[in-house]
Amino acid sequence: MAIIDWIKDNVAVPVLVFLGVLFLSLWLRRFTYNALERWLNEKRTEFGKIIISVTRGPFLHWLLILGAYIALQVSILAPPWKSLGGKILASIFIAYLGWILIRLSRELIRLYLNRAKVPQAAMTVTMSIVQVTIIVVGILILLELWGAPLTPVFIALAAALVVALIILHDVFPSLVSGIQLSQQKQIKVGDLIRIESGEEGRVEEMTWKNTQIKTLDGSMVIIPNTKLMQTTIINYGKQSKVVTEPFQFSTRLHLRELTGLSARNLSQLVSRLKEAPDAVIYYHTHSFVEEYQFLTPEPTNDFALWIRDALGYDILAERLASIDTFEFPTVGALKQTIVAVIQDFLAQSSQEREAPLGSEFHFIRSIGVVLPTPYVAYNLREFVSALRRISIGSLYFHIFEARLRLQRGTNDFSLWLEDCLGEKELAEQITRLDPYNYTMENLREIIIRFCEKRL
Amino acid sequence: MNTKVNVRDYEPIVGKSYIEELRMLASRLSGKTILNVNSTFVGGGVAEILSRIVPLLNQLGVDVRWQIISGDAQFFRVTKKLHNALHGKAEFISDDDFSLFLETTERNLSQIDFAGDILFIHDPQPAALIAKKSEIGKKWIWRCHIDISRPESKVWEFLRQFTTNYDAAIFSSPNFAQQLPIRQFFAPPSIDALSDKNKELSAEAVNAVLTKYGLDSDKPIILQVSRFDRLKDPLGVIKAFELVRKNFGCQLVLAGGAASDDPESGEVLQEVMERAGGNPDIHILDIPAESDTDINALQRAATIIMQKSLREGFALTITEALWKAKPVVASAVGGIPLQVKNRLTGLLCRSIEGAAYSLRQILANPDYGHWLGRNGREHVRQHFLITREIKDYMLTFLTLEHKEDVIYL
Repeated sequence: MAIIDWIKDNVAVPVLVFLGVLFLSLWLRRFTYNALERWLNEKRTEFGKIIISVTRGPFLHWLLILGAYIALQVSILAPPWKSLGGKILASIFIAYLGWILIRLSRELIRLYLNRAKVPQAAMTVTMSIVQVTIIVVGILILLELWGAPLTPVFIALAAALVVALIILHDVFPSLVSGIQLSQQKQIKVGDLIRIESGEEGRVEEMTWKNTQIKTLDGSMVIIPNTKLMQTTIINYGKQSKVVTEPFQFSTRLHLRELTGLSARNLSQLVSRLKEAPDAVIYYHTHSFVEEYQFLTPEPTNDFALWIRDALGYDILAERLASIDTFEFPTVGALKQTIVAVIQDFLAQSSQEREAPLGSEFHFIRSIGVVLPTPYVAYNLREFVSALRRISIGSLYFHIFEARLRLQRGTNDFSLWLEDCLGEKELAEQITRLDPYNYTMENLREIIIRFCEKRL
Repeated sequence: MNTKVNVRDYEPIVGKSYIEELRMLASRLSGKTILNVNSTFVGGGVAEILSRIVPLLNQLGVDVRWQIISGDAQFFRVTKKLHNALHGKAEFISDDDFSLFLETTERNLSQIDFAGDILFIHDPQPAALIAKKSEIGKKWIWRCHIDISRPESKVWEFLRQFTTNYDAAIFSSPNFAQQLPIRQFFAPPSIDALSDKNKELSAEAVNAVLTKYGLDSDKPIILQVSRFDRLKDPLGVIKAFELVRKNFGCQLVLAGGAASDDPESGEVLQEVMERAGGNPDIHILDIPAESDTDINALQRAATIIMQKSLREGFALTITEALWKAKPVVASAVGGIPLQVKNRLTGLLCRSIEGAAYSLRQILANPDYGHWLGRNGREHVRQHFLITREIKDYMLTFLTLEHKEDVIYL
């Protein structure tokens, strides 16, 4: 009886309190979670499902710990034991809560960042940061609970934080930028982008820190995400029409070879002209395009220029200047016309003028050196981008030289656009352009404008 | 050479694509060694251009080396005479002089390490080193920087026996070339846009130089930069200025130095001073040769730049003026017509009256002057900058093995 009385006096109350809390907890959990599930079924949110699945079990355990704590407080134990027991139970609760929060945060971060298609590396870094934060806060609360001196801990933590900030000073902005870029979906792998500073290329890879683009000349450019977020980007998107035979841009550089032949009057000029090889005629009828690419429409060819300036035959110079180089499919045909115009003039003039000493016409031969450039285009967008970057020599090679090389009244650009991209109308527009009437930069802009209308 | 200058520094000047093309050419020269040989590492135009071109080519990845020939004072006195005679100046050159030239060449043939696939020999002084070709083979190029359009025949015949054995020659102007049985290429000289003489200057720096020389910054400046030499016709310039001064408020600046190798220059300077008399609008500035920044500032401050020479080489002073977008009035002599395309990139003249007329045209129509200046700058950008000279040299090296008109590399 004494034992029963002892139990009744000393244990019954705490046990009854504990059991009461247990039953109350079971009811509370069922009520709360049923209500939550009903609400979630309406909302159909993954977020709530994760919270329920992660916290359903622990919720009961937390309430049991609460029950044990209340039972302990109503027990007959001495206050120091009550205090010690309370601290132990509180510590278990904090550790347990921290563990669940870590699990919860991991699930939620995975859900959220997966939806945003954030790279795995960014996800890992984010999870690590959150976990460390929860653990540190939990430890601080426990230390506070057990009355440990916190000042040295705070100092150590501050120092660690400063070191971490120094080491990882660019991690956070990059991480945020990476997440923002992915979330906003403004740039995707495969897009052709152009940024304010001029870099342009196709997005090859996006990490939490950098975005890699492959430029048209084949080089890889790594752009920090922080820079990408702060700059103006033109996103041309993905190109649907991609050809298997790309346009390989080449360039032509020229070297001037002296023939040693010169002329001081029209008779000598015409006599030398008749014997001159195509490379000489080509130089004197085309060098102006490159030499005076900043001027239009004068001068048109070296013969007209020399006849006007050195001999003073303005009318003949005008007639030679008005010869439409664009009309001639071959240099030989152009030479015949130039010779005919001069001979016609000579037949009507009675006296010949001599150029002043030192102002003779020197026949120069053009040696063309053709090299492939790193620029390659698989579609119209890439073609336009490369057009903006190629040298004048490259533009010259594909437009001017191509007409004479192909002898088909067209040029390399038009051929590729029609044959490989099916852009017949655009190809014809470029073919119809008389390139001799524009400066090289104007010509570049006009072709780009034509192409952009098709994009 | 300013060692800080990098080939990338030229991108804003000539464009990225231009530098890309230089790199493409350089890659085709991979594995080849080019050995430059001239007569000095310092002083003179050739040493100056090589000191800039060699490091830039090396940066591009081309293995370019540079050696000089050695010789005593007597040898260089002879080569100076040869130089003058090739320019057309009457010089007495004895058989002993020719013998000394050949003996010194013989010594250099045994001293120089001809380690190169292409031997790039500059000017007449080392031209006879071609004798080594029969022993070592390789490709040999003679780069003639001087005007040999009207050479003294005896000297030219002496030099010709060497030049005809080269694989190719490069001349600065079609006018300067000679009838030779070898391939001849045309590569005009160039200026370096990043040198002290041509780099951009602030308005303060320009004004400081005007103040230093007592010039009025509010009055249009007509400038001629040249050494005091009768061939530069300084008296003709003063006369043209006086014709213009009747109708236009302006000042004339004749800036230059006395050439140490020209005993007449002091005398010419004296004549010019006397001809200018007390005219407060004519400023004769005797500027030391190394005052590149001062010359740069004067050219930038000028309204019109003249070069009324009676005889001229290539006239890099005109290139410098055009690069600074200044309208130029220049004689149609030497290499000037290559640079000044009449009424497009400047105005050409053939007389004092013609020069005065051109000056009046520009002073009365500043917009026309600006248009000429802009065209002139673009013309230089395309043709007369150091990057173009580097390109021409690389193209020549690559072309040596080919005979066709269009070469696919």
